[in-house]
Amino acid sequence: MKRKHSLLYLIIAFVFAQLAWLALLGLWIYWYVTNYLIFEQVGNPLSPQLAIDSPNVLIFVLGIILMVAIEIAMVLAFRNLTVQMKLTNLYDNFIGNVSHELKSPLSSIQLYLETLSTKEVPIEKQKEFYDMMKRDTDRLKKLISSILEISKLEQKRIAYDYHIYNANDIIKELVQGSANQFRLSSGSVRFEGSADYKCVIDREAIQIVFDNLLSNSFKYSPKEVDINVKLSHNQKNIFIEFCDKGIGIHPKDQKRIFDKFQRIANANVPNVKGTGLGLYWAREIIKFHGGKISVFSLGIGKGTTFRIKLPIYKTSRNIYVNSLLRRTAKNQKILESSDGE
Amino acid sequence: MENNSFKGSKILLAEDEETLAVGLEYNLTDEGYIVDWAKDGKQALHFFETRNYDLLILDIMLPYFDGFEIAKQVRTKSPQMPILMLTARTSSEDKVRGLELGADDYMTKPFHLEELLLRIRGMLKRKHWYKTSVELSPVYRFGKNAVNFENFKCKSGSKEFELTQREAMVLKYLIERKGKIVSRKELLENVWHISTEVETRTIDNFISRLRKYFEPDPDNPVYIKGIRSAGYEFVEGK
Repeated sequence: MKRKHSLLYLIIAFVFAQLAWLALLGLWIYWYVTNYLIFEQVGNPLSPQLAIDSPNVLIFVLGIILMVAIEIAMVLAFRNLTVQMKLTNLYDNFIGNVSHELKSPLSSIQLYLETLSTKEVPIEKQKEFYDMMKRDTDRLKKLISSILEISKLEQKRIAYDYHIYNANDIIKELVQGSANQFRLSSGSVRFEGSADYKCVIDREAIQIVFDNLLSNSFKYSPKEVDINVKLSHNQKNIFIEFCDKGIGIHPKDQKRIFDKFQRIANANVPNVKGTGLGLYWAREIIKFHGGKISVFSLGIGKGTTFRIKLPIYKTSRNIYVNSLLRRTAKNQKILESSDGE
Repeated sequence: MENNSFKGSKILLAEDEETLAVGLEYNLTDEGYIVDWAKDGKQALHFFETRNYDLLILDIMLPYFDGFEIAKQVRTKSPQMPILMLTARTSSEDKVRGLELGADDYMTKPFHLEELLLRIRGMLKRKHWYKTSVELSPVYRFGKNAVNFENFKCKSGSKEFELTQREAMVLKYLIERKGKIVSRKELLENVWHISTEVETRTIDNFISRLRKYFEPDPDNPVYIKGIRSAGYEFVEGK
């Protein structure tokens, strides 16, 4: 609330500053023009020499340039400031989400520990409690590592392990892996189409992308999860589409969902957990692969489709894809030599 | 387990974190309470509308309807229902909002089991105190005002209105100690059953609302007097 107000004050201050500068510019032009007219009328008859020298065009032009420069600087400073404010806002969102995500499993672990230490809990219940604690520690572990991975991702410090795969095989295998992780029934995820081409991917990274997409479908499907994975291709790229029948995304929110720390507020959302990092992470990983991820939804209640485009090996983005393979080979060499030592 | 005189009380637990809910359900059941667990806001409201409860434990970040919305809806239908908010949100704005919407208590995660159980017992005790003392004399009159502590309906001259449960409890507490100074801390501890540093503003808000309802001139109160740096005092008036 306070931040909204301070942004409003900033905008008002900015608009006033603009008006002040424009008024000054106007005054400056007005002053020059009137003086020039006076010199024209009076200066020439009095002293022709004075009329030629006095209205110095250079000073006039420099004055305007100076004012325009200050104006541009102000616009840039204002833009920068609003971007900063937006980032701070998003960061606050993130802290709020992460603290919720951290505190919930932590409270649960604390509750079970206190229960086990203060009460006589039957053996079978104890086992159930230990399982619950394990689930919570896994959740904490996953959350912490995802935050750390994001920072690595941003500094491009992740050594990707790129290899050439048949798109059909690897995609089906990885999607199946994600489905198993979320204990989705075999009928929940269906495959359609084919993309019998080679592509260069890091299977672990792509697994993260698929995990995030399936986890989203899982979280935002009020009823049974129903995902259709469509494979297709054109001459240069393969396409993987994840179509679910979940709650959908409002068109105005579709652009924002890949932004860092972004979570869309929606009263129809059946699940409110998350850090706002998953889709940002997915977009960055796909970008590293030389591809693109986009989202499409007809609106609330109409399901969502995520579409991933990846270049076909030796057909599209050759230089970039080969550089990924070279980097992997180089990394492997370094690892092998360090193993040998 | 200590002897719990509120055994058999029915508690609605609205919590979307399964692991936490299972642990809470176990402990509350072990204390002798009967617990219904709602996994989201929709289910919590459905349970509340179809069953009877003695106390509600609400998480704030719930799917469909958040804890604030549930508290608001519960308050319109059951002004006396004790509500405990149990949440990871720690900002004082959230606390004040929760308490003003009618929550009786606010605990942040992670929490200590013993403290939670004590607070639940305290809330049930207060509900019992309120219920029994109201049963004895439901309507209280002072000046041109009449307050029914059972249904919170009030009359001030020809004006008729309804108090919230919290407003009624604050007023009742002050009336029961008429002629004595009641500190803000005492009100916090005995009406809200909390002792934190941020809520004195909330108390002052409640007092100023009560003055608007009952005082002929709220700026110069004759019934609910403020005693500088000490608290408040209820004076019956002439």
